[in-house]
Amino acid sequence: MVREAIPSEGASGGQNSQRNYHYRRRFLAGVGAAGSLALAGCTDSLGAGGSSAVKVGFVLPFSGTYSLLGESIENGFKLHVDDLGGEIDGTEVEYVKKDTGADTSTGVSITKEFIQKEQVDFLVGPVSSAVAAAMLPEVEKQASALWLNANSGNFKLVAEGCSKYHFRTAFNSWQTSAPLARFVMDNVADNVCVSYADYAFGQQSKTFFSEEFEKAGGTVVDEVAAPLGTSDYSSFLQEIENSGADAVYSFFAGGDAVNYVKQFSEFGLNDKMTQTGSGFLLSADTLPAQGEAALGMYSLLHYTPTKQSERNQAFVEAYRGAHDTAPNVYACQGYDAALAAEKAVTEAGGTDVEQLVDALSGAKIDSPRGNFRFNPKTNDPIHDLDVRKVVSADGGVTNEIVETLESVEGPTWNCSL
Amino acid sequence: MVTTTALAKATLLGVEMGMTLILITVGLTLIFGMMDVINFAHGSLYMLGAYFGFALTAQSGNFWLALLVVPLAVAVVGALIEIFALRPLYGRNPLYHILLTFGLAIIIQGLVTDIWGGQVRNISTPDALSGAIDLGLISYPTYRVFLLVVSTLIVVALWLAITRSNFGVLMRASAHDSEMVDALGVDVAKVFTAVFVLGSALAGLAGVLLGTARAVDPSMGAAVIIQAFAIVVIGGLGSFRGAVVGALVVGLLNAYGPMVAPSLTDTLIFVLMAVVLLLKPSGLFGQPEGV
Amino acid sequence: MAIEDVLDRYSARTETEAEDAAIIGRTGRLALVGVGLALVAFAPVAQAIQPFWMNLLTLALIFALFALSLDFVFGYAGLLSFGHAAMFGAGGYAVALLLENVTRNALVVLPMAIIAGVVVAALIGWLSVRAKGIYFAMLTLAFAQMIYTLAFNDIPATALGVDQVTAGDNGLVGIPSYEVAGFAFDSLVTYYFLALTIVALSVALVLRLANSPFGRVLEGIRENEDRIAFVGYNVRHYKIVAFAISGGFAGLAGGLFVPFQSTAHPEMLHWTVSGELIVMTLLGGMGTLWGPMVGAVFVVFLEDALSSVGNWEVVLGLIYVLVVIFAPTGIAGAVTSLKRNPREAVSNVPAALRGYVENVRK
Repeated sequence: MVREAIPSEGASGGQNSQRNYHYRRRFLAGVGAAGSLALAGCTDSLGAGGSSAVKVGFVLPFSGTYSLLGESIENGFKLHVDDLGGEIDGTEVEYVKKDTGADTSTGVSITKEFIQKEQVDFLVGPVSSAVAAAMLPEVEKQASALWLNANSGNFKLVAEGCSKYHFRTAFNSWQTSAPLARFVMDNVADNVCVSYADYAFGQQSKTFFSEEFEKAGGTVVDEVAAPLGTSDYSSFLQEIENSGADAVYSFFAGGDAVNYVKQFSEFGLNDKMTQTGSGFLLSADTLPAQGEAALGMYSLLHYTPTKQSERNQAFVEAYRGAHDTAPNVYACQGYDAALAAEKAVTEAGGTDVEQLVDALSGAKIDSPRGNFRFNPKTNDPIHDLDVRKVVSADGGVTNEIVETLESVEGPTWNCSL
Repeated sequence: MVTTTALAKATLLGVEMGMTLILITVGLTLIFGMMDVINFAHGSLYMLGAYFGFALTAQSGNFWLALLVVPLAVAVVGALIEIFALRPLYGRNPLYHILLTFGLAIIIQGLVTDIWGGQVRNISTPDALSGAIDLGLISYPTYRVFLLVVSTLIVVALWLAITRSNFGVLMRASAHDSEMVDALGVDVAKVFTAVFVLGSALAGLAGVLLGTARAVDPSMGAAVIIQAFAIVVIGGLGSFRGAVVGALVVGLLNAYGPMVAPSLTDTLIFVLMAVVLLLKPSGLFGQPEGV
Repeated sequence: MAIEDVLDRYSARTETEAEDAAIIGRTGRLALVGVGLALVAFAPVAQAIQPFWMNLLTLALIFALFALSLDFVFGYAGLLSFGHAAMFGAGGYAVALLLENVTRNALVVLPMAIIAGVVVAALIGWLSVRAKGIYFAMLTLAFAQMIYTLAFNDIPATALGVDQVTAGDNGLVGIPSYEVAGFAFDSLVTYYFLALTIVALSVALVLRLANSPFGRVLEGIRENEDRIAFVGYNVRHYKIVAFAISGGFAGLAGGLFVPFQSTAHPEMLHWTVSGELIVMTLLGGMGTLWGPMVGAVFVVFLEDALSSVGNWEVVLGLIYVLVVIFAPTGIAGAVTSLKRNPREAVSNVPAALRGYVENVRK
């Protein structure tokens, strides 16, 4: 506007637009230069990829429903590497990360890119089991990176994949469901109704729990499946109530867990039956939103932030110092992935993938969740599991450990590495 | 197996779910009826209402204050959207509103994730509304009774406003023939803004009301929008009556569905929509011509 | 009476519209051939510097084909499909099952992807074309979501009494790639050329169709359905056929996508895929055929570039909003006006801004 008011404008309109044109050209040239610089950067890191640094690729969701999980895993991983001064065994650690969203094919694309283009030594992730299942063939085929699975519990990764490059620093779906059966049988009730989110992981959890519960002599009275992402569970809750069972075993996670638990209490079901479930039903992330509705409910998980051990308290303090919030189970899984990476590189004395695999097979990890080791047959963790009960704490509710099941191994599904 | 009690409870549930859905669908259908805008950002306004409600109750501890203030705050956001993004587009192919409001929905969801994080939140239920009420045959949570009463009152008030008030007449006239209304000396642009603001305020109110009963997370807007569209289409685009009837039918469907085919509950609404449109290609109460 | 006569007589085509149509005329075709040759020449360069570039390009090509399939029915016949994911997924799942269980021969499997897309589209189209505008869109959405549920809950397996067909939300993984006469398309560069060839053939075919009398009838239907019906064309029939053809190309895109990602997942069928496809089409410029392809490539590249940045969705959303407000005819429209009169196009920018401010003040 101001420029238009300059008197000469009328006479030299053409020149003016020509000048603009030049600016445009210069601007474009600038972009071109930046582009080629970036390119040079690319080839540089490519040359260095295999040898001079330990390269870690985060295949995690940073947007959408699971973004919190992705961020927690990354934070946990970096917390330990930062403790080590940013290097493992004298070698600098480099990161690449890309957002998988909740999209399976994006996850595969990123895996390919990280392995083939970025030539990472470690893949860390993913969150979703479907992404993990889709990643597995690629990791196996390329055989050039070690995969630290920091969240996906899909047992089929072992049962159908059984890849030596796949190490789980998280859990498998049997471990977060079946071991609770005996506890429920002994301490809660001999009959349950099982309710679950109707997708692969929910179905797996339900089946594992039911099998184990019936093995222990209990009865599964009814099964109630609700679609993933249901916002109003009232009709399903009525089915659960109608089952007349004394206890419920449930698998729901994230927003579903909040809706389900809140509404369970809202309809007064907590007065009639005892709620039990996998730890994701009542995790550190969902408890603040669930509040008093969750009181008295039991759950099972491999990490509890309130665990009273020196190792854990040091971890919680360090994490709180860096991120201003207590760590959740995902942060612990990420942290343990970094512990595993450190162990592997240090023992292998480099980043050759076969040596990394050998170094990590059967290795012990000094985790905040308690010491665990990788099962040499499956590379799944053999770890302690906490049975927790939700109790009042100052200003809110928290999980209190009532029993710890030690060194829970679980089936190997005919996988024998 | 299905007892009378169970049926009664499911029916009450269905009506309650339907009434709360109306708060979302009415705005959607009015905005479409008036301006031909397919508003993908409507679910985001609902989500924004829930987050504003969460922030305000967490700060002040007063749910009632949030119930008053949040719809106004969301209305302001709605006004900004209408003035700065939609207004320049009137008169163009309405399909471009899809791209625009899709973009807006992504922006709002991204900003909310940035500000409040991906963690699931919840607005705490006020003490006065916790517990359950004995309704003779069944006992029902107090908060849900409150939800039912409040949303019914609002729907009745809207109904009266649209059919009886001057503004309602103006609104319907503008939807029917905006050039005519313009020629009569009424500023149609202002009517459009008012309708969009009203729709936004209702979505915001729904956010606060349902944010106590449900989980509040950044994806809640995207989760509700397709269902809301389906309801509006079942009822007939632009029809207030259609949005009300459609929401109630879908509410009942959601309540009875789990008794019959739990894993297909999500799909029932699409089956219903397909059946309705195959029999009546412009919805139950819609005008025959499409876009 | 030839359809051109009908159009000339009844639809008042403006000069600019005629010029727009000419984009896909001689210069447009030359440009397309040029782009094709450049893409061919790119492969050895990428192979030498960074082979992985071809990964993103292959994806972009696949989505360009998918966007082309939508624009054929949307831009040309005016049928807004909000269910194109159904055909994409149908092609994808068909290919996944065949590659895993029957044969890896591309000459057998790829045509089956097309057939799967055509069958699903014909069915949806047959049921839906009675409804118009948004109602049509919502019907296609409804059917697509039903198919999504079928795949997500693996209802085919329950119905057939077998262990798994779609494998539910786990999806089918580890899908092998194509072969032709013993030659396997299992490297980036071979798959890139496979995709490029198929997309090029599809573009040529769609252009032919669009410029054929059949395509003219579709255009006529978009402009004024009643007139075309009045002249004696069976509008319903034309719409269904157009939708089925479009579905065939969408199925083909799905058939290229699945072996490339080595996985078939219900997400392919979800409404968000259809939604994103509409966004690509509008962003590129609907009804131009080449615009939506550019839009698809643009979105694929943009999402990739942004996805390592935090908060990338906000940026993406902002771009959508700004494009709609300031370049309402999409990328294609902007390019066309730049080509027609570069100086005017540049000097139009302040005018557009002023127009925007005026509109806001109104």
